[in-house]
Amino acid sequence: MNPATQEVWNEAQKRAVAAAHAERRRVTIDPITRLEGHGKIDILLDGAGDVEHAYLQIPELRGFEVFSLGRPAEDMPQITSRICGVCPTAHHMAATKALDDLYQVEPTPTARKIRELVYNAFVFEDHALHVYILGGPDFIVGPQAPAAERNIVGVIGKVGVEVAKQVIAMRRRVRELISYFGGKVIHPVLGLPGGVAKGLNPADLPKFKQLAKEALDFALFTNQVFHDLVLKNPDYVNLITSDTFTHRTCYMGLVDSANKMNFYDGQIRVVDAKGKEYAKFAAQRYREFVAEHVEPWSYMKFCYIKPLGWQGFTEGPKSSVYAVAPLARLNAADGMATPCAQRACDEFFSTLGGKPVHHTLANHWARVVEIIQAAETMVALLDDPGITGTDIRTIPSKKPTVGVGVVEAPRGTLFHHYETDERGLITKANLIVATQNNAARIAMSVEKAAKGLIKKRNVSEGLLNMVEMAFRAYDPCFGCATHSLPGHLPLRVNIYGEDRRLVRQLVQE
Amino acid sequence: MSNAKRVLILGLGNDLLTDDAVGLHVARVAGARLAGEPGVVVRETMEMGLALLDEIVGFDGLVIVDSIQTGQAPVGQIHEFDMAALACRRISTPHFLGVAETLALGNRLGLGMPGNVWIVAVEVADPFTLATQMTSAVEQAVDAAATRAIERAHGFMMHPSLAPALTT
Repeated sequence: MNPATQEVWNEAQKRAVAAAHAERRRVTIDPITRLEGHGKIDILLDGAGDVEHAYLQIPELRGFEVFSLGRPAEDMPQITSRICGVCPTAHHMAATKALDDLYQVEPTPTARKIRELVYNAFVFEDHALHVYILGGPDFIVGPQAPAAERNIVGVIGKVGVEVAKQVIAMRRRVRELISYFGGKVIHPVLGLPGGVAKGLNPADLPKFKQLAKEALDFALFTNQVFHDLVLKNPDYVNLITSDTFTHRTCYMGLVDSANKMNFYDGQIRVVDAKGKEYAKFAAQRYREFVAEHVEPWSYMKFCYIKPLGWQGFTEGPKSSVYAVAPLARLNAADGMATPCAQRACDEFFSTLGGKPVHHTLANHWARVVEIIQAAETMVALLDDPGITGTDIRTIPSKKPTVGVGVVEAPRGTLFHHYETDERGLITKANLIVATQNNAARIAMSVEKAAKGLIKKRNVSEGLLNMVEMAFRAYDPCFGCATHSLPGHLPLRVNIYGEDRRLVRQLVQE
Repeated sequence: MSNAKRVLILGLGNDLLTDDAVGLHVARVAGARLAGEPGVVVRETMEMGLALLDEIVGFDGLVIVDSIQTGQAPVGQIHEFDMAALACRRISTPHFLGVAETLALGNRLGLGMPGNVWIVAVEVADPFTLATQMTSAVEQAVDAAATRAIERAHGFMMHPSLAPALTT
């Protein structure tokens, strides 16, 4: 970015932040949940009492670039994995791949297999957590269930204590696999430019093979649970396919050389709202295809497909808004890379009317399909004799300049971009995380849900949950915003009349 | 250990996010003061949500030290409350379980959750900016917060009813 553009950009950013702060000061805050870091939705009504606009505001991480400047690039896999307690392995892997690119070095075949094994284990564990525990209240318990039951205890009531114990135990064991290679999950020390720090001792192979097999059984069981509790319930299926939760936008995801979905590596593929390939590019070219738009009412930056230009928060053939995350990955790929996942994927598209599927809530089902691929990939990698190889690193020998790495984080495409001086000290660092990629579509989802539920000043009691469902399906990561107590993100909805005075406030703790 | 109570002081936070590190610092100070004392274990973790289960299973008492941002108290003020104040709520965060939900989950699964839980939280100014230096007022609260955590832990070891009174 040239200095003049940078200045304009920074000025716009400053104004957006100031506007957001001024707005927040104006709002009456409930004393119990008065957190600076709350999620906030402002709903503006028109003269008829219908929704004119609805805006989602979330806090953002600040100061990443400044913090990174002058640090050795080799520190980035550790630093970035510590930024966020939700996606440490995704950041670690994207940063490691950026270092490969920075030093122009290929990991050895064994190192690549180990990275993929760890990464698929991470996706499996993270997705399972979401399906059962975080998204579970919406579908396993049910969107219409009393609020007091729509929590983890309610999920256990539906699936049973034994299944819940299995979820917890499976998660712990998969995390042990991740820790075997990388130490603490939150402080992984696995990835190095050109390889990994630790190989797999053949003596430990049998226990991990057994784990992967059980993980696959668990993934298939999860698919069955989703069928029994969600797909057999016509109300849920109607909700998933309802217009309130549907947007016809572009989609982005990583694909392998056969255009099959891949979490760890490949090219980034973009399909348009009709599902037709619009672009396919290597991570290094991401700035040709991804741009960020700033709105005066938000401190979020809204990504869009750059060559299409910013067309506003619109859907349809002209939309430049795109989504990432499970649904987007299934839409962007020609299929899954493993057989059981492919069968599940076929059923997904045949049930929901063919490709592309535009129903945001279908993310939950797509996540289940992806769990199967993650588990099958773990099995395949551990069956590969190369996984216990001892050649686990190619030592870099070239001077560093620029490196870009990309992975599919559980919640979507994640870019890391570093530039260094010849000593390998960071001179520029940029991240585009999944939630940024999804920001425009999330904003559209929130507004559409609000418009569907608020008519002539009548606010549906289900508003909060329905609006939450609209953005929870994306599995957005507000990790940095939710670390302080109470450990979750209270949501507040402020409704303003046509004179822009606050007429009602709803608080979802 | 026979019938003696075991109490965990658990510092939560992120040492890269300015004031968010305060729970870790408090735990470090408490750990140094309690070095060698039986019955109280001090841990720090940057993890959250469900990962906390692995830390807290098997303890009789739990004192969590964390940052909090109410916006209603001076930066550095120490808040204290019990689990009733963090009752099991609807999950409104997309990717986390709150502390209360994690404990409720552990209890429901019969995982041996602490019977007594107390929270010591320091009001912070900035838990969002990437930096390793806490703001001065937060830094100055570390010693006092460590004292409160230790007092509460000692109270739990003797008997819940002997624990210090709420001082928020």
